[in-house]
Amino acid sequence: MFAKPWRVMVALLVMFGCGDKTEVKVADAPPTASAKEAGRPMTGDWLVIHSLSDPEVLNPLTSSDSASSEVNGYIFEGLLTREPRTLAIKPYIAVARPEISPDKLTYTFKIRQDVRFQDGRPLTGEDVLFSVKAIKCPFVNAPFLRVYFNSLVDAELVDPYTIRFVTKEPYFLNETVLGGITMLPRHYYDPQNLLRQVTVRQLSEDPAKLPAEVKQFGEQFNRNYNRSPLGSGPYKFAGWKTGREIELRRDRDYWGTGIEGIDQPHVERLKFRVVNNMDAALIRLKSGSLDFMEALQPVQSVRGTHSERFKREFKKYEYFAPTFSYIGWNNDHPIFRDKRVRQAMTYMTNRKQIVKSVLFGLGEVVDSPIYLFRPEYDKNLKIYPFDPQKGLALLREAGWQDSDGDGILDKVIDGRKTPLRFEIKINSGNAVRESVALVLMDELRKHGIAASVRQLDWTIFLNDVKNHQFDAMVLGWAMSTTEPDGYQIWHSSQAANKGSNAISYKNPRVDDILEEYRREFDEQKRIQLYKAFQEILNDEQPYTFLFASKRVSAVQRRFEGVEVFPDGLRPIDWWVPAARQKYVDKITAN
Amino acid sequence: MAGYLIQRFLLMIPTFIGITLIGFFIMRMAPGDPAELRAAGGLGAAAGGGISVEKRGVVDEAMAQWRAQFGLDKPLHVQYAVWMKNLLSLSFGESFKDNQPVWDKIAERLPVTIKLNLWSIFVVYLVAIPLGIFSATHPNSFGDRVTTLAAFVLFAVPLVWAATMALVFLCGGDFYYLFPPGGLESLDHSASWPFWQKFKDHAWHLFLPVVLLSYDGFAGLSRYMRSSMLEVLAQDYVQVARAKGLQERVVVLKHVLRNSLIPQVTILASILPGLIGGSVIIETIFSIPGLGQLGFESVLARDYPTVLALFTASAVLTLIGILISDLLLAVVDPRIVFGRRQQ
Amino acid sequence: MSVMPSSRTAAAAATKADAGGSGGGLWTDVWKRFRRNPIALAGFYVVCLLAFIALFADFLANDKPYYLRYKNKTYFPIFRSYMVGTKLGQWPAELLNVEFKKLEGAKAVFPPIRYRATNINLLEPLEPPSSKHWFGTDKLGRDIVAGMVHGARISLSIGFVAVGIAVIIGIVLGAIAGYFGSWIDLVISRVFEIMLSIPTFFLLITVAALLPPSIFLTMAIIGMTSWVGMARFTRNEFLRIRNLDYVTAAIALGVTNRKVMFKHILPNALAPVIVSVVLGIAGAILVESSLSFLGIGVPAELVTWGSILQEASTTTFAWWLAVFPGFAIFITVLAYYLVGEGLREVLDPRLRGLR
Repeated sequence: MFAKPWRVMVALLVMFGCGDKTEVKVADAPPTASAKEAGRPMTGDWLVIHSLSDPEVLNPLTSSDSASSEVNGYIFEGLLTREPRTLAIKPYIAVARPEISPDKLTYTFKIRQDVRFQDGRPLTGEDVLFSVKAIKCPFVNAPFLRVYFNSLVDAELVDPYTIRFVTKEPYFLNETVLGGITMLPRHYYDPQNLLRQVTVRQLSEDPAKLPAEVKQFGEQFNRNYNRSPLGSGPYKFAGWKTGREIELRRDRDYWGTGIEGIDQPHVERLKFRVVNNMDAALIRLKSGSLDFMEALQPVQSVRGTHSERFKREFKKYEYFAPTFSYIGWNNDHPIFRDKRVRQAMTYMTNRKQIVKSVLFGLGEVVDSPIYLFRPEYDKNLKIYPFDPQKGLALLREAGWQDSDGDGILDKVIDGRKTPLRFEIKINSGNAVRESVALVLMDELRKHGIAASVRQLDWTIFLNDVKNHQFDAMVLGWAMSTTEPDGYQIWHSSQAANKGSNAISYKNPRVDDILEEYRREFDEQKRIQLYKAFQEILNDEQPYTFLFASKRVSAVQRRFEGVEVFPDGLRPIDWWVPAARQKYVDKITAN
Repeated sequence: MAGYLIQRFLLMIPTFIGITLIGFFIMRMAPGDPAELRAAGGLGAAAGGGISVEKRGVVDEAMAQWRAQFGLDKPLHVQYAVWMKNLLSLSFGESFKDNQPVWDKIAERLPVTIKLNLWSIFVVYLVAIPLGIFSATHPNSFGDRVTTLAAFVLFAVPLVWAATMALVFLCGGDFYYLFPPGGLESLDHSASWPFWQKFKDHAWHLFLPVVLLSYDGFAGLSRYMRSSMLEVLAQDYVQVARAKGLQERVVVLKHVLRNSLIPQVTILASILPGLIGGSVIIETIFSIPGLGQLGFESVLARDYPTVLALFTASAVLTLIGILISDLLLAVVDPRIVFGRRQQ
Repeated sequence: MSVMPSSRTAAAAATKADAGGSGGGLWTDVWKRFRRNPIALAGFYVVCLLAFIALFADFLANDKPYYLRYKNKTYFPIFRSYMVGTKLGQWPAELLNVEFKKLEGAKAVFPPIRYRATNINLLEPLEPPSSKHWFGTDKLGRDIVAGMVHGARISLSIGFVAVGIAVIIGIVLGAIAGYFGSWIDLVISRVFEIMLSIPTFFLLITVAALLPPSIFLTMAIIGMTSWVGMARFTRNEFLRIRNLDYVTAAIALGVTNRKVMFKHILPNALAPVIVSVVLGIAGAILVESSLSFLGIGVPAELVTWGSILQEASTTTFAWWLAVFPGFAIFITVLAYYLVGEGLREVLDPRLRGLR
């Protein structure tokens, strides 16, 4: 009775181990021909995109994570967009850029009359108005999105294809904000037309006074529209296997087909495949079950992707992402109140070597909070090279010395002998920031500064940062490639109420610059203002600015039309020539 | 028998309450705020480039409103009472992360975890029982010592190491491609495939995870089997059977085996609780959407309803497991008398 | 899926213990028998070696020398650093924050491994094993051998303290339950059931992930989730021994309950617990490596075997990051397990009879 199991086991092993592989293997593709030789763009094939995590929900307004914005970006469209190469504002659903009134408070948009949603219904001004109301509705779970529209006080239809917005105060970014409103089909997201009676003005006022239908709408919207988005974009939602994969299919009746200036979709299906582990993801890329990885880890891009076979099948693209990392010093802390100490810290941070060793060279040292490719970025700022001796000199000048021979510098502050001891807080889950903190700690300790590192869970870390419970912290900001606005981070008013000015930086001259900047509609004047702003920051070192990192993406070579733009890659432009298509849709007719 | 069952059920109630209390208060007293997490853009921001500047313009009232919506602003004991009430009417609430009913999220992943664990149990028994028998029938022989040592060696291999090594060397990438690097099914898996093809595909994907989950069980179970059999072999009635002239093989198979299998059954029931937390590492490394991964992610995201649901479910499974194993033991072994056994 | 020794074999072991009389006689007997098992003995030597490494980590791997002769004065920097650390001494001005390896005109005797586990060197990241770094370096240039040596200290201390906590809780609760019986036993047994039903790994992850990482916390929570086995053994032993004659006699003579429990019964009830302790240490080390691997429980600045393994899982070409710490955990766990099994065989008379 028990001799048999051995045979069974062997049989099972044979069965499991040697099954014929049911995944399609990629034939060795010839080297990429240039776009002209390869032919004109055509439809067909699938693009399998790596996604690090599952989106939380696919609700166009309540989702707050990057995975869902990536997917939603193919399903929904806005009034305006940006020209990929120049980043100039360009009309999309709108016919042209809005008419702005002389007092800069009223924006009038005329929209196209040929736009259709993915279920065939036409898009009209009513949908635009509904989309705005949905954002302004206080019962919809989108507080962070709504903040941007705090300045919008009214919106109304002038005629079925013209809509007028009224804002509270002049702010040059209002056009961008309004242009970014996601166009939602009213008949789908509010079938009972619960928001018909309420106006945008009412929604901007006291939530308690709103009629019951508005609350009902909010609840329904939050609950029922999380897994089946419907928009006007070129790709339709086709299915979601939780934790595994999301599929989008090209809308064959897309309203924008053939229209100049509208992005044309080529790939038949977009599959977002979830692989939580970066290592496993790279392996899947190499074995053919992923076509595109947007963000290889630095170590992967430098070491794991150099074989001949890899180069034959994949192409890597390096480009800057509009993010930067920094060390934030708590400017209210007795040790860091003195700007010489902060400057000394910057001298003691070997930023260049960190980029070389920790980022494997995939990044560049920055000295300002502005994205380094923006015209506003000041290239002539004074550099702080790695010079620990200079840092020590500064500290000595500021009154720090080791008076008791314990190896740690100290100074009398407010009548008490204070050792130069502090804690650098970081969040768990980020290897780069962890490395930065450890490197800094090690270097500082060599010179008599007792730094320590404390790693906290993300939410606890965020909480501490917002409540200013830290000595120093390492963090990063993710911005966009469009015009910067430093008000949120650097204005002194934002240091209270858990605002983004977590380091409590208060400088009245900077405040003035930031306020004037927002009101300035002339780009050249704005650039001048920000040059002054960056110079002050450079001198005061409220952050030690670290680096902007490069992103490295890998794309399977069969895709044509892959190009790097200031905003990154645009998979919507990609296509595969017939001879190289790997996946075939069995669906026949239209 | 009925009396015994009722008594056990009644005793289980305080246990159940104790478990839920512990789970609830640990979760709620730990620092960190789910509202905060939503505001900061989810967990993705932690690993990514940084906090999105746009998302940081958060209005505190919005967060307060969100908290009120989920009843997080009430005092703790009120929250506990509300949760218990819902629990008893079998409603687990909605997840904080995505507003989906918790039960749906669990139900979606339950088959995967069950499949993984059932196969694992199967493999462990398949390998360990024969090993144990062999050891017991040839005690202290060279073969016994070798298999024992091998089993121990396997037990000592850390799971994180074995799993990573397997992923790197056997699943494509720079070395051998014998198994897929994760997931449950191939990319072009389709529901219209014949059963056999689907089975092979699943088996190919699950082979490594199952083996990795099982290998540390070989040692324990085979040793247990060995000692249990040795005990039985030393019994008088075995000597009697031998004296009667029965063949050794018959003696072993008919009498000894059945009696030494009894304790193994109790181990089975202790597998149930491991269903939920036991495979977190495997599921993470191999991207398998099971309950372990759900639990870990929910903890990190402070998704209280989901975490508590999983915690409670696991506790209930354990209690049921203990009860079943005691019952089975009692049914199978006529020497055991109800109520006066040593636990 | 580890399995606890059956209560019957443990009971048998205790019988032997009772018959053996005083503690001294039993344990020399145990040691003699233990020595006859070559595999278990080998495990025991490994355990001792690891303990040695853990205790003397600072003398095995350090960037400071034992002995330094500089500018005609003699110093002992490693000892000095202990003194400064406990605030009993100071660094002389010429040695303040100096890099000993680069000291000009100095004669020094360094430990065999010239690095501390935490010495970062950005110029030598991810180097394969070489004569300079015997086991290679990690992404920050930290020497792996040094990491293993100091990691041994961390792993073993977590193991010992965690199990120590578990033993204390387990023995106390088990003794009380087994000695007093009736409703006390009922209540405490319910507590056992609750603790058993809680999904331990899940609980560990939850607590470790939510609270700020610290070794002490990790020790505490591992200890507090693993005491039930020992409690049950103790309880069973107490239940059994309590009815023996000598105990009844002691109670009749008026010896206090506490004395009876801890002076008379406990020493004879310890046999099964000892085995659990040894196996428990191995288990705790495994759990710690899993927690480090998931990135929770141990602070970022500490280098532990599990944290090196975690780096290995994301840097798969750096095989030296995986092989050595993984092997270290493996050997440690195996050694403790062999010792534990050896002890179990020795303490269980029934199996011995069949040899």
